[in-house]
Amino acid sequence: MSSTVMTPPQFLAGFDEAAFDACASGEASFICTRREKAFNDYGMIPNPTSRDEEYRRTDPMLFRMGRYARMPTIATGRLQKTRRWDEAFDVVVSITDHRLGLSEDLPAGVTVCSLNDAATSHPELMEGYFMGAASPEEGRKFLELNNAFWNAGLFIHVARGVVLEKGILIHYDVEAEHAALLPRLLVIGEEQSQFSIIEDYQSSHETPFLCCSAREFYAHAGAQVKLVTLQEWGPSVVHIAEDWARVDRDAMVDLVSLSLGGKTSKMTVGCTVCEPQANAYLGGLYFANDKQHFDQKTLQLHAAPDTFSKMLYKGAAKDKGYSVYQGIIQATHGSIGVDAYQTNNNLILDKGARADSLPGLIINADELACSHGATMGNLDPEQLHYLRTRGIDEVEARKILVLGFFEEVVQRVPHAPIQERLHDMIERKLGDTDE
Amino acid sequence: MNKELIICDLHVSIDGSPILKGVNLDIKPGEVHALMGPNGSGKSTLSSVLMGHPAYEVTKGSITFGGEDLLDLAPEERARLGMFLAFQYPVAIPGVNVSKFLKSAADAIHPDGKVNATDFLKDLRANMAYLEMDAAFANRGLNEGFSGGEKKRMEILQMLTLKPHLAIMDETDSGLDIDALRVVSKGVNKLMDEPFSLLVITHYERILEYLKPKFLHILMDGRVVLSGGPELVKQLEEKGYDWVKEAAAKQQSAAV
Repeated sequence: MSSTVMTPPQFLAGFDEAAFDACASGEASFICTRREKAFNDYGMIPNPTSRDEEYRRTDPMLFRMGRYARMPTIATGRLQKTRRWDEAFDVVVSITDHRLGLSEDLPAGVTVCSLNDAATSHPELMEGYFMGAASPEEGRKFLELNNAFWNAGLFIHVARGVVLEKGILIHYDVEAEHAALLPRLLVIGEEQSQFSIIEDYQSSHETPFLCCSAREFYAHAGAQVKLVTLQEWGPSVVHIAEDWARVDRDAMVDLVSLSLGGKTSKMTVGCTVCEPQANAYLGGLYFANDKQHFDQKTLQLHAAPDTFSKMLYKGAAKDKGYSVYQGIIQATHGSIGVDAYQTNNNLILDKGARADSLPGLIINADELACSHGATMGNLDPEQLHYLRTRGIDEVEARKILVLGFFEEVVQRVPHAPIQERLHDMIERKLGDTDE
Repeated sequence: MNKELIICDLHVSIDGSPILKGVNLDIKPGEVHALMGPNGSGKSTLSSVLMGHPAYEVTKGSITFGGEDLLDLAPEERARLGMFLAFQYPVAIPGVNVSKFLKSAADAIHPDGKVNATDFLKDLRANMAYLEMDAAFANRGLNEGFSGGEKKRMEILQMLTLKPHLAIMDETDSGLDIDALRVVSKGVNKLMDEPFSLLVITHYERILEYLKPKFLHILMDGRVVLSGGPELVKQLEEKGYDWVKEAAAKQQSAAV
């Protein structure tokens, strides 16, 4: 035994050894092992504080850890609750406080099931991916928290060459109060597969809880994988998300994050374009009103020559809303022929509202094209005047301009009814005043 | 309804410096007027003030349209009275779909607050065809990536959609090639079927050949210094603005 003094592990309030012991029961040994390793790693990472660069603008105190109890791992059942647009999808998954409901009759070549079911029935599909290389960064406290404590795990595998026309819808409906939901999503698109996933987060009004999500995506050669996240949690929810994707040769991953709900959100999206001709698009839309707080970070990692990535995040802040955007484009040594873009545009609609934008580049290669830019400001008075000269009153003109500002991102959403819902949500936020 | 525009002793400043120094102009329903004048004489200021641009301050004088005092009205209220400005430099508004925007404008202008969607689309297609515009423009962002000529056509398309009682065209012909000028003029002339008055601001004779104004005014240093009939254009083309100063002096002394 070494005699070095070990720093005692640090646990976030509510997620200590006792909580961990209570959560492991009857899972496949493969999953238990991963959970245990993750729990150790999680304890070794110091609890974040506002002195850490990553949390400088989002004090972890805002997460109000200690108020939430981890919900038990949810059981698989039949799909019960449906929404009006369910039939517009090939597969529908419903996640509530107690149940993971699945539509029956999955299309050929498509596996959608809980992570626990996947570990039992398809370990060969899961191994090598689960908690694998999609998340290259170490020391991420909330990622390890999810790795250890996840309670709503979903596995999606689309076989080689399979094309899903309508896509997969996952809706979350949380009603429990002061609960912690830790969704875990593992997505694997085999070669030449094509599909889209929509994750739709909703909760009953005024219910405070924590959602700490982690998602891993693997797009193999020539695959086209799209994920749209529509975060419309109730106004008291804390949302923490870690998304990591790996994109192989000729593949395309499209991650669109639409953040409208919740009280405090901290989201990290990282994408590694690993092989030549791999392509990633990161799209974001956020609208902070009332006292909402959105903090988001994107990473575009170019690990091979001739790889592409494009990132466009558009946000608005109103009332006392606050948004933070931080972005990094990183090209490793020798990554010639890299083409990477990063654009962050912000609308600041009120004096009390605030947006911080911190784009950045880390480059260790010579022959590459990288650009980044950020804009900040209120609506353009000339555009406003132009619309008004056409008879449109000021309130309506402002609405048209805000919707127009977001439209490029909205157009990335593959379903028209969801585009309409987004428009409605933006309009509602514009109409609300916090006086 | 008598939609007469009366501008009386209008003084306008921007950032404290006076631009218009006593403009008088009277446009009766059905009349076509042209306004010419050297660069910097205040032509665009006049068109901006007529539509209520917030950067301009009216320090003296009045503007009424159909008896209503325009200076008390917001731009949208002026538009609802039947006024329209075709901008010299129309702004681009990316992400705002042309067809949806035009529907919002048509709804706003309509006395019932809403136009029939089917009729609207039918009219829009017909107007676009009339202006020789590709139907695909209806689904693009407003003026997003449009050429100069396409933007000007889009202004006229809006004019045809909103059917104003009075339109002001601020150098709509600048930068247009001969074909585009013909199409734009054709579009404006279509409105002449109804009672419609027009103020054309221009530097060039050619658009006036299409639009045939009965009245021509010359603005210099913030005042209308000379008014007359279409024959003034020829004289102006031949003799330039120096001649106007002399002619204006003569006209004034004759009046005294």
